Amino acid sequence: MLFDLLQNTLDGLAMGSAYALLAVGFTLIFGVLRRVNLSYGPAIMFGAYCATWVHLNFQAGVLALALITIAGAALAGAYVERLCFAPHRNGSAIAAMVASFALWMQFEELVTLVMPKHLYDFPPMLSADPISFGPLTLPIEALVMLGCALAIGFGLQRLLYRSRFGLAVRAVIDAPVAAQLAGINVPRILMQVFLLASSIGGLAGYLIVSTHTQITPMLGMWSTLKGLLAMMIGGLGSLPGAIVGGLLLGVLEAHSQWFLGPQSRDLLAYLLLFALLALRPFGLWRARHAETRA
Amino acid sequence: MSDYAIGVLTNIGLVSFIALSAYLLLIAGEMSFGQQGFFGVGAYVAGIATAMYGIPLPVAAVIAMAAGAAAAFLVGLPTLRLRGLYFAMATLAAAEMLRILFELIHFQREIDGELVGPDGTQGFRSIRWVFEAGIEPADFLVIVWALLALAVTAFIVVERSRLGATLRMLGEDPELARMLGIRVERFKLGIAAAAGAFAALGGALYAHHNTYIEPRNFDIMLGVHSLAYALIGGLGTVFGPLFGVLIDIGVLEGSRVFQGYRMIVFGGLVALLLVVRPRGLLDERFVHRLRFRAFRHT
Amino acid sequence: MSVLLEISDLVTSYGKIEALKGVSLSVEHGSITCLLGPNGAGKTTLMMTTAGILRPKRGSIRFSGSEIAGRAPHAIVAQGVALVPENRLVFPAMTVIDNLQAGAYQRNDRAEIAADGERMFERFPRLKERSAQLAGTLSGGEQQMLAVARALMSRPKLLLMDEPSLGLAPLVVEEIFRIIAELHKDGATIFLVEQNAHLALKVAQHFYLMEQGKVSFSGTPGALAEDEVIRRAYLGSAKS
Repeated sequence: MLFDLLQNTLDGLAMGSAYALLAVGFTLIFGVLRRVNLSYGPAIMFGAYCATWVHLNFQAGVLALALITIAGAALAGAYVERLCFAPHRNGSAIAAMVASFALWMQFEELVTLVMPKHLYDFPPMLSADPISFGPLTLPIEALVMLGCALAIGFGLQRLLYRSRFGLAVRAVIDAPVAAQLAGINVPRILMQVFLLASSIGGLAGYLIVSTHTQITPMLGMWSTLKGLLAMMIGGLGSLPGAIVGGLLLGVLEAHSQWFLGPQSRDLLAYLLLFALLALRPFGLWRARHAETRA
Repeated sequence: MSDYAIGVLTNIGLVSFIALSAYLLLIAGEMSFGQQGFFGVGAYVAGIATAMYGIPLPVAAVIAMAAGAAAAFLVGLPTLRLRGLYFAMATLAAAEMLRILFELIHFQREIDGELVGPDGTQGFRSIRWVFEAGIEPADFLVIVWALLALAVTAFIVVERSRLGATLRMLGEDPELARMLGIRVERFKLGIAAAAGAFAALGGALYAHHNTYIEPRNFDIMLGVHSLAYALIGGLGTVFGPLFGVLIDIGVLEGSRVFQGYRMIVFGGLVALLLVVRPRGLLDERFVHRLRFRAFRHT
Repeated sequence: MSVLLEISDLVTSYGKIEALKGVSLSVEHGSITCLLGPNGAGKTTLMMTTAGILRPKRGSIRFSGSEIAGRAPHAIVAQGVALVPENRLVFPAMTVIDNLQAGAYQRNDRAEIAADGERMFERFPRLKERSAQLAGTLSGGEQQMLAVARALMSRPKLLLMDEPSLGLAPLVVEEIFRIIAELHKDGATIFLVEQNAHLALKVAQHFYLMEQGKVSFSGTPGALAEDEVIRRAYLGSAKS
């Protein structure tokens, strides 16, 4: 029993770090735009399909596939920003969100046109044996995932608080008009944040498909939903919150899957989201000033 | 009319109900990502009523509408005070919970040597009331469109009344509405329940048109589509959402010209359209101008 | 004296409503020019259009010889124009120091930026005490000083100020105006929107009056004080 609990927690933390990465990208975009990008997951899926296509047609190493996924997601993210968010920057949030949904349709149809099979194999990251700590085992991939989530989390915190770019990003999040008056090129910062967020999402996407060793078009919807869920659990607009939210979601899912099965696992995740929204609408970690903006 | 044309037209009618339901909430200022849940409730409740208990469809449809309204009321109760994105996420969570519940329901009865009823992810087969009552597809088409016409008429009557003005005011300036003594929460709950009933009616008809439903018919795709229909068609008139459905299902899917890449065309079209007309083709300004012109000519 | 800012026939509209209906005025190099006018006259719209936040429909804004009308705000800051906006608009969730750093965003000379930061702390000692505090926790007067300091961090050739006294206690307002006079003595050019004509009379060399989107008076403090109508509306009494 105790063993199961520990093993589930470990597995949950591994998956949770992928959720955390997804949520971090989502949070960055939400922070600067106050808009939800439904095409966030589908852009990641697009990147992962680019890597799958390269894998099927050429010899490519693990690192190359990861970079292709990231680059594909960033490229798709830039396309979404230009068509859905740049035009609606001072306009309707609903229009921007629905436009991002429209591009989701495009990504999904595009990948099924080029690669019509429902499911493709994706090469695993490593083929090393899992590490064991006594009775507990942990695949190397899980360690890589945890490491990536922590590294990205700390790296972002440094970037935001120690660099000129970070200063501009925080200024745009805090008071967009004042940022313009301070001489910050806000449209350019928004584009750069979009590229950064989509790249982080791309990394998460690579880690996920290489762990599952397969890919379907459902990856798009899945990434958007998991990212949103983790972001909302952590409280909108807070990066540490997004990471904690992702890890929490992962652990919760692992336990409920073990004890209740996959359907109840999803049910519980949504129930948690619903209850949080109804009882604590600003998340477990209330972001500063979030209540005055959203 | 060919069977194909009848099928497309029936589909347009069915999907229009959920588009209307999303539209009703949009003009009241709430963006719901969860109307597909109530569409599903309508489909399951009506299917169980006719296929398992032999209740005639007209009665079953009324029961389904009541169930949809009740479900929407219960979801609305803790969530309608939430704003914008929070409400959208809460409704999405509720609809996904409903969808998973459909996956968990195994409730079957033996009727004429056959197991009938929802069987989890295996779906719910043999909802054959329409077929058994001897209603031809063309007749069913007429029924769907007659009910839709009724719903649209109800919308128009409401929109021209004081209720309609209150509704739009609620969407544009809830604080003003509150100051004028409108009980915003109670009013919105009523709106949410009505929207739930519309969606459920669409679902009830959908189940009987298809004779087979499964949980994933009611996933988030349907919900976001219905929002998109209202938004591209336009928020200025009740014909906006219908127009949106017509563009997507009628022109793009129905014409079969864009087969294989319909979504690429539709997606690009929607994104570009929203840049020019963020409140849709038939937006408030367009409708206002149209009314003004009609008024001048009479 | 030469003209630093010249606005001619400027029209800005919100949808179909024109907030500026052909505004023309100029600001001399090294002067304090004050724009008076009732609420809703279009003063803030004029400031926001000059800073590039709003796009004009027609007309020209020439700043030291080059056209800036309709350019992006960051490009206008690069030309040397900084706006201290109405209601201050500091970055509430950032520290005082970060607010100042953001003001110097377009500059690359690190040492000089640090030196300017020190200068701001000398001019505004209250900000130095609060340097690590979040700007949102400052008092209204402190936020106003921070907004001025942030604008100065870009080393502007022209400082636009939109109602710096709005909602502040009389003592704080006096301090703000003492600072405005100091900045002027150091050679700054300031274009000031102000409702408080008494205070503005003490510092400004030239006045404009705006009403319903148009300039209705232009003249020196002397001419302003002699105009019976303005005296009654803005100076509150027959004597000044």
